[in-house]
Amino acid sequence: MYKKHLLLVLAVIFAFSFIFTGCSNKAEEAGNQAANPDMMLKVALIVEPPTADVQLTTEEYGIPLNCFDRLVEAETIEPGKSDLVPGLAEKWDISADGLVYTFHLRKGVKFHNGEEFKADDVLYTFDRMLDPATKALNTDFLDMIAGAKDRMDGKADSVSGLKVIDDYTIEITLEKPFAPFLANIATPAGSIYNRKATTAAGTDFGLKPELTIGTGPFVFKSWTLNDQMLIVSNKDYFKGAPKLEGVIFKIVPDPETQRMQFETGELDVFDCDNARSQIPYFEGSEKWKAHIVSGPRVGLHYYCINESIKPLDDVRVRKALQMAIDRETLLEKLFYGKGIIANGIMPIGLVGHNPGLEKISYDPVKAKALLAEAGYPDGFSMVISQITDRPASLKMNEAIQSMLAEVGIKLEIQQMDSASWFATRLEGKLPSYYSDWSADFNDPDNFMYTFFYANNSVARSFNYNNQEVSDKLVSARAMTVPEERYKLYQELERQIVLEDAAWIPLFSLDHLFVVQPKVKNFQVSWNGWSNMPYKGITIEP
Amino acid sequence: MIKFIWKRILISIPVLLGVILITFIMLNVVPGDPIALMMREHIKPDVVARVRAQMHLDDPAYIRFFRYVWDAMHGDFGTSYKLMRPVSELLYKAFPNTLVLTLSAAFVAWIVGIPAGILSAVKKYSFIDNFFMGFALMGVSMPVFWAGLLMQYIFSLKLGWLPVSGFNGWKYVIMPAIVLGWSSAGIVARLTRSSLLEVMRNDYIRTARAKGLQEIFVLFGHALKNSLLPVVTVMAIQVATLLSGAVITESIFGVPGIGRITVSAIQSRDMPLLQGAVVFTTFLVIIGNIIADVLYSYLDPRIKYN
Repeated sequence: MYKKHLLLVLAVIFAFSFIFTGCSNKAEEAGNQAANPDMMLKVALIVEPPTADVQLTTEEYGIPLNCFDRLVEAETIEPGKSDLVPGLAEKWDISADGLVYTFHLRKGVKFHNGEEFKADDVLYTFDRMLDPATKALNTDFLDMIAGAKDRMDGKADSVSGLKVIDDYTIEITLEKPFAPFLANIATPAGSIYNRKATTAAGTDFGLKPELTIGTGPFVFKSWTLNDQMLIVSNKDYFKGAPKLEGVIFKIVPDPETQRMQFETGELDVFDCDNARSQIPYFEGSEKWKAHIVSGPRVGLHYYCINESIKPLDDVRVRKALQMAIDRETLLEKLFYGKGIIANGIMPIGLVGHNPGLEKISYDPVKAKALLAEAGYPDGFSMVISQITDRPASLKMNEAIQSMLAEVGIKLEIQQMDSASWFATRLEGKLPSYYSDWSADFNDPDNFMYTFFYANNSVARSFNYNNQEVSDKLVSARAMTVPEERYKLYQELERQIVLEDAAWIPLFSLDHLFVVQPKVKNFQVSWNGWSNMPYKGITIEP
Repeated sequence: MIKFIWKRILISIPVLLGVILITFIMLNVVPGDPIALMMREHIKPDVVARVRAQMHLDDPAYIRFFRYVWDAMHGDFGTSYKLMRPVSELLYKAFPNTLVLTLSAAFVAWIVGIPAGILSAVKKYSFIDNFFMGFALMGVSMPVFWAGLLMQYIFSLKLGWLPVSGFNGWKYVIMPAIVLGWSSAGIVARLTRSSLLEVMRNDYIRTARAKGLQEIFVLFGHALKNSLLPVVTVMAIQVATLLSGAVITESIFGVPGIGRITVSAIQSRDMPLLQGAVVFTTFLVIIGNIIADVLYSYLDPRIKYN
């Protein structure tokens, strides 16, 4: 008797669990069948985004770039070049003192829930970012607005610098003039939400597709955790519906699996950034070589030198390090020559880039002499840290290890898990490391201030303690004449890279994608990001 | 019996609290800042400081501990830092996948392990015995990740019969269930064999044979039930352990279950999620043990719990 009951209970549990998984599959299939799957672009993501709410994430922008719009958009006009164009704002006026921005909004734009877009939505969205209850991570894109600090610190219930003039006009007043303001709000962090839908969604905004409402060319349709996300075409999009029926983002953490899926047609796009070692294969393949799409990247690879660790506090030692690295060989051997040598901090493609900046030459003899002068004729030992399970970084660090060995520097490569790595770096205690950075917005501030403003320099473990440079970086933000601003940035760049040798520039790499022959109009974004707007792409089966 | 079960449940409360405390201490000792990890390359020290305060991560450890326990007692296990969803929702979604995998694996273990054990015992020292015991030894000693990759290579890449990874229907369950079930089958087979051999030496078996009963009735009517006692105990505990997440198997076959959640929570210092997963699996192991005890007393009337 008991035995029968026991079996029954087990059978019921078993059946239920199958129904559980069965149900979710059916729901997902229904979502996919809403549109013609052949007209959907299938792309892969290595990492599952935590949320589609741009106020709560600083990195994963695949959904936001396609489902939301911004007041101003950074449009790719040609590879590596961008322009700020009207988005939800039709036009804007800037007061002579650079403090007041008046945005005239587009009329008749509808959110995915049918609500009309109005100035109050802009006020709501920007206020939400700065509201301490949101616990937002992207506040630095808006914290220059007057009253933002008080709002963030909980001293005010609203942001004094945000003012709705009428339904289609909003006035934003800044604390101080801030030259890159328009470029700032053209980043994904400037995405505009609908007050009614977002308030109703509460903490589910960005997590539940049906509650994640924007005005963008695609509508967020479904999200199966650890599996895939689906966005479908917004037929009522104010700039005209996208030609694609939708985009399926598959979560595929393993690059080798991604490649297999691309070759069998399960994916339409293969992002070579995820497996650069595959580049020679695709370039040599008769089938694929005509379908490689490449574009420059407004960004660069670099080595950070932690100046608080001896003997890296000695500028001669840092200069020796710069000279001991053969960047051309690295670019050729490890990256198949797909890029361009960088000499400064502001990469090619960035406004203010200095093409005339002196080149750092590869000169191991001079490097050795500098080391001897600094008191290290026999070299010294140093540590380079990296995150475990990053084979590409390891290859790079090993190459550097052998180059530095030639001038007598003994390099130890220390690997740690990502949680420890980022936490140690935040404390300013991470040994020197290799990394890269691509532009969020097209302005020198996004590079110079990010790395060399005093607090940031510690939080990135550069520990470049130059208060004068830091102060100038703050004052450059408020300069309103672009030419003068860029000139100041170029001077600071020269000082940081050439005089103080606080930065080892390596190269700007091209971003290569391989696409299925049926995918047309695929264009690499101006900044070279993997996340990109998909509106312009078409599929011709 | 009811009193016994209640007593066991009450005893499990300090166990749960102890487990929470140990996990809490361990996560506080290892370096790692969840906000730094969330912001990665876009780190801004002032934002980190503000959000840390907003999330009460700067409060003293003992306050955070008691707050967690208090909220957990009220059913609130917090929100995952990394996945930004309520922990209870994530566990609720992952558990059915782990449950299906575990029960399928247990099913494989039983239908392979018990008959193999019986046959080995009945035909001891024969070819069949050696074959099955060899098979069992392989199951126990073969690393799960190796068996998993081998099966993927043969059945997915070479033969194309089964999908490589994912969890979207019955086809996806077959390989992980066999890989996971095989090692359990090995244990079950060896245990069934030794236990059955021991029972067969008892006086009541001799009595059954003496009264002229056919060997098959002796085996199934008298010997088997008694010989399964240790097997049941082991299996109940094993099922409970498997439910806490077959970490490696889930990773290899892309099963979005408890094991994968736990590993990713450790990697991302996702304290609420890890705590939730640990409490949940501890709870499962405790329940598994209680069920094993109850089954034991049902199968062996000589055992009475007071």
